[in-house]
Amino acid sequence: MGALTLRGITKRYGTVVACDAVDLDVERGEIHGLLGENGAGKSTLMRILLGLETRDAGTILRDGRPVTAGSPREAVALGIGMVHQHFSLVEPLTVWENVILGDTGRIRRSRACAEIHEMSQRYGLPVDPLATVASLSAGERQRVELIKCLRRDPAVLILDEPTSVLTRAESAELFAVLRRVVRSEGRAVVLISHKLAEITAATDRVTVLRHGRVVFRSATAATDVAELARQMVGREVADAAALGLIPAAPHVPEKAQGDPALRIRGLTAPGLTGIDLEVRPGEIAGLYGAEGNGQAQIGDVLCGLVTPDAGTVEVGGVPVDLRTPGALHTAGLGIVPEDRHRAAVVPAMSVAANLTMKDLGTRVWLDRRRLRRRARELAAEFGVVATSLDAPLSSLSGGNQQRVVLARELSGDPRVLVLAQPTQGLDVGAAEDLHERLRRCAHDGMAVLLISTEIEEVLGLADRVLVIASGRVAGELHAAEATPEQLGMLVGGGAG
Amino acid sequence: MNLLDDLGTVLSSSLRLTAPLAFAACGEYLAERAGTLNISVEAMMLGAAFSSVAVAGATGSATTGLAAGVLTGALIGLIHGNLAHRLTINTFVVGLVLNALVLGLTSFLIAGATFGSRPPQRWPLLLLPGIVLLTWWLVERSRWGLELRAVGENPRAADMTGIRVGLRRRQALLWCGALAGLGGAYLAVGEVGSFNQNMTAGRGYLVIAAVIFGGWRLGRTLVGCAVFGLADALRLALPALGVTLNSQLLIAAPYLLALLAMVLFATRHRRPRALGKPFVRQEP
Amino acid sequence: MTRTAAWSALALLVSAVLIVATGGSPVEAMQALVRGSVADATAISVTLLYAAPLLLIAAGACVSASAGVFNIGQEGQVLIGALAGAAAGLRLALPGPALIAVVGLAGALAAGFWAWLSALMHRLRGVDIVVSTLLMTFVAQQVVAFAVNTPWLLQESRLGRATVLPQTNKLPPRALLGSLGSYPGLQLNAGLLIAVAAAVSVAVLLTRTRWGFRVTMLGLNPAAAAHSGVRVTVVTGSALAISGTLAGLAGAVLLTSPLSTNRLQPGGTLGLGWDGLLVALIARNRPLLAIPVALLFAVLRSGGSFLAATGVPSYLADIVKALLVLAFVAPRVPWRRLAVA
Repeated sequence: MGALTLRGITKRYGTVVACDAVDLDVERGEIHGLLGENGAGKSTLMRILLGLETRDAGTILRDGRPVTAGSPREAVALGIGMVHQHFSLVEPLTVWENVILGDTGRIRRSRACAEIHEMSQRYGLPVDPLATVASLSAGERQRVELIKCLRRDPAVLILDEPTSVLTRAESAELFAVLRRVVRSEGRAVVLISHKLAEITAATDRVTVLRHGRVVFRSATAATDVAELARQMVGREVADAAALGLIPAAPHVPEKAQGDPALRIRGLTAPGLTGIDLEVRPGEIAGLYGAEGNGQAQIGDVLCGLVTPDAGTVEVGGVPVDLRTPGALHTAGLGIVPEDRHRAAVVPAMSVAANLTMKDLGTRVWLDRRRLRRRARELAAEFGVVATSLDAPLSSLSGGNQQRVVLARELSGDPRVLVLAQPTQGLDVGAAEDLHERLRRCAHDGMAVLLISTEIEEVLGLADRVLVIASGRVAGELHAAEATPEQLGMLVGGGAG
Repeated sequence: MNLLDDLGTVLSSSLRLTAPLAFAACGEYLAERAGTLNISVEAMMLGAAFSSVAVAGATGSATTGLAAGVLTGALIGLIHGNLAHRLTINTFVVGLVLNALVLGLTSFLIAGATFGSRPPQRWPLLLLPGIVLLTWWLVERSRWGLELRAVGENPRAADMTGIRVGLRRRQALLWCGALAGLGGAYLAVGEVGSFNQNMTAGRGYLVIAAVIFGGWRLGRTLVGCAVFGLADALRLALPALGVTLNSQLLIAAPYLLALLAMVLFATRHRRPRALGKPFVRQEP
Repeated sequence: MTRTAAWSALALLVSAVLIVATGGSPVEAMQALVRGSVADATAISVTLLYAAPLLLIAAGACVSASAGVFNIGQEGQVLIGALAGAAAGLRLALPGPALIAVVGLAGALAAGFWAWLSALMHRLRGVDIVVSTLLMTFVAQQVVAFAVNTPWLLQESRLGRATVLPQTNKLPPRALLGSLGSYPGLQLNAGLLIAVAAAVSVAVLLTRTRWGFRVTMLGLNPAAAAHSGVRVTVVTGSALAISGTLAGLAGAVLLTSPLSTNRLQPGGTLGLGWDGLLVALIARNRPLLAIPVALLFAVLRSGGSFLAATGVPSYLADIVKALLVLAFVAPRVPWRRLAVA
């Protein structure tokens, strides 16, 4: 009798089938991997389990009894707990307040603090219950999330893409806790991920979802990465980085030549201290580090969203006045920002508008014919699949939206292309396509800066890797000498 | 008349002018901590003022009138809550419409009826300290208040934790309506003893100004109410005392002070991060 | 669409119930509304006079709302516009056409500046624009009250022993907006022409120009706009200023229109500032749609004053307006959202 059994779970959004008769069996004492590309239906499945979404059909059994959670609170009562990575802690509140949020009954502060203290001892997760969450690092917040979830004594623990915000050391700490939870406390863990390496390293059994259907299940030991990759994508994939794998052979660097096309000197802003970096024409430079160490801030500066307190940015040897909006674009820097929907696109505007919004011309009146023509050319060149150029951008798939952004940024023939977390939320095919375009850009003499928290992506693409930790550049490695261990040490900074 | 008597008169009248604001401000403070910048507090006070006088006149009981005012305010809070946090209509739009609607409705109804004047009933003043303490305890110490604060700061996180964001915000508005209703009813039945068209005359907006002036802290919000009440009392008393001070300045003072407080202390204010932002659960 | 119609019908039904409950007759009330607003040339003239400031205010509200800035301080901006217009009209000795232009310009500029102050507070200290425009309305009311209560500012001159009221002198006739030709009985005031021109200009500005594209982008996604090179503070400030400018122009038009006493009085806006905002809400921030909606609201205004004769208080018109806004705003919500929350 499984701790958690799903039978025939189906969920449709309009004509899109997110989950199609999904069966899943999770036993006590195992870490069960749920593997699938972005958009394969993993998140929908978990939202149904947690009561954040209603299912159209199917049964959920907990220890053999049919159950339905109407809300996350009811899910907790059914022994299903979720460790969230984002958006689930309230920053201005203290740790203990966050931990008891969602309980019922009277508030007892001293008891809550004692419980937290006891939990941190038991699992080796040091945290100060009286601290405000806003003051904690990503790793510490992860501990709070774990304590918050484990305190409710769940029989089934669900983790959704848990390591994306963590350093390797923090990930190791997390997996140590999970193993303990499974082996000595007999709980069941569901680990949702699109990263093959993580699934093979940490799980006992694995279920693979593709296009909302279960296509494969196996004991993890009885399968291998190649098989899982084939099942996840449905075909052979050569691009290891797109699969979230460390490439087998070290990357052969392109020949970088000439003076740096992008030179950043002493860049200081909130979260950044004295960043120096250079990117030469023809090379892909990787900027790697765990989330929350300053990459997002560098991205924001290069997007023109944040004006730095100090430091200079030169494009093609010419200093850029960062206070002038659009100056970086004019100077020849194209950028694909992190989190498309935040700064890269206007989802409610048309595909055509999104393709041309940086190139409106200099006259008061819009030349609508020229803009349309330009949009049509770009859409064709970059293979943007859209029912109409007038359709809102939000109607496009993630991969096509990313193509729109890339098309727009490359349309001005930039010297420098900056990409921040470019494959986040993309499926493997779209990621492959993007990686291929990047390699071609560099090959054609463009200077490419790849800002990423995915070690596989950096190792698979970059000719040179700069590591950022705590808002400083902690070190630099050439592709030949960059190994996961080396990078991990640099990411840990002085302490690691 | 000596100076001491004058001072006593001004202070007691400023206390009586502060009370309606203070009742309503407790409610508005709570609603804003839960994330609703509720501008329909004007409608709540005005509607309550009308219904309390009408019911007090019909039943002959001031207490029943006050209760009717509280219920009217709560009803408006219920309507606002459902429009803003169930139908997810922009809360400012809802507020504007409710203010226009209640002003129109009370003006319409008063034009066809006359209510006699009744002697003022000041005893509800005694409720004020209890209500202030209760509001403080609810927000800072109760589980409900913890959930309200979570909803006002980060509704998405609260949702993930299983707190019903819309429900909590609607409850906060209900409480806000009841207290604003008490404030409006006290103004009409407790102080004036009758109702006239648009009798709150923007006091609801003063309440919003007070919460902003207080930087989303209850104590300072009440200080704001007291300052605004004093300004009003001075405006009424000064001509009789032979002091000339610009009355327009005194009327505008609360709004200027609130603006000034926002400009000066913007960074130190504990403005709830999701204040005024509607919450809709996103589909993946 | 059908839902909007259903909600609107419900709004009218509620109004009818109110009339019956207070002893009136809905049919008579309807007849009075029609009689006062569109039954004859004189009534139509009055309706059109009301439509002009409403449309100006709504067109302005469309600009700020498109930029993602919710300006709810039109009532105060109208007052400031009227104040500046009155000061110019009373103090400047200019020939007719020039004086008319200066009155309008003064009103527009002053109110534009007044609204821009909110953008400035937002820029420098992050003060919420909704809140500051709202609070500034009450400050504006007192500024006007001060001006018309102060003899050395704009209070009316003392003539003999007459009591001096808190209002300005009457504006000279040459400062007033004239009628555009005389049709039998129908007065077509120049204010309406200005308002329609403003609405059309706003529509063109928002859809056909680079600035309009940027405003739209800013309204839909400020971060993406900033990333694309939009000067966020400049565009926010200018959108808010334009919105105030049009409200101020409405104030000046109202001051010089045959509707008003042609004196600045503290309550002289007749609450049109709030109404204009409601017009924009119903028109869903589309300036051309605002034209018919402004006409509808003008009908309710001019017809509303005829209601009293039938024993129904004229405030009924205000109730109908508020319910109509709800009817137009509510049905946009998908029903399945009601299940959650």
